[in-house]
Amino acid sequence: MTTPTPRVLLPSGATKGEVFQVRTLISHQMETGLRHDKQGRVIPRKIINRFACRYGGVEVFSVDLHEAVSANPYIEFYLLAMESGRLEFLWEEDGGSIYRLEHQLAVA
Amino acid sequence: MGFTRREMLVTGGVGCAALANAWFSPANAAEKAEKDDTAEFVARQMGRAATESVRLHLTMPAVFPTGYTVPMDLKVDSPMTEDDHVKRISVFAPQNPLIDVASFNFVPRRSVPRVSTRIRLAKPQFVVAVAEMGDGTLLMAKTYVDVATNGCI
Repeated sequence: MTTPTPRVLLPSGATKGEVFQVRTLISHQMETGLRHDKQGRVIPRKIINRFACRYGGVEVFSVDLHEAVSANPYIEFYLLAMESGRLEFLWEEDGGSIYRLEHQLAVA
Repeated sequence: MGFTRREMLVTGGVGCAALANAWFSPANAAEKAEKDDTAEFVARQMGRAATESVRLHLTMPAVFPTGYTVPMDLKVDSPMTEDDHVKRISVFAPQNPLIDVASFNFVPRRSVPRVSTRIRLAKPQFVVAVAEMGDGTLLMAKTYVDVATNGCI
């Protein structure tokens, strides 16, 4: 399996009080645990089970993902621009690995 | 992954044939006809009853060629103040082998109750969304999605 690569697309700046769009994608197989290999053994579940977005250290949005989320989970959501600060994106995988990205947002 | 392209094509072909059989069987029509136990289903999942609401918008294509990546848009009309906000939206696919799809958690005055993602569906079915509001009330919306292939294998 290739290493999951997270990607995020959002504006670099916003005006205070504005709603801005955040688009995130992580390349990930999202193995459901329902499939079998050629020997008939169950291929163990390995999915991204949680996604979170922190804005200035505060969690402002999160998702609990289950098996029925498609491979390469794409999540598009909307936040309110409050103050300039760091946006942190975290993807938690079964088994405890965490993939993260950061983004600086300037609010005028 | 240990699959070659050839093996994938062969198993895919067999799977499609099996699905085509299921597709044209009368059982499929019967399933569509029985439908509306959604309210009961939600009460069972959430522990209390939900009211169907026009404030919660669940938008999905009525017909989609593949069950692997069905687009889903969710939106709730809410001012997102401390008094009136959406805490969480949970999505279920009652006919999937595993019915939980995802839950989205929002924070008043920080996030907007609007998300888009892509989900897997095993067969044509009602997809159900339940929004848990700040005061504990549950809002519910459902939409029928007809997928042509099983996305849960």
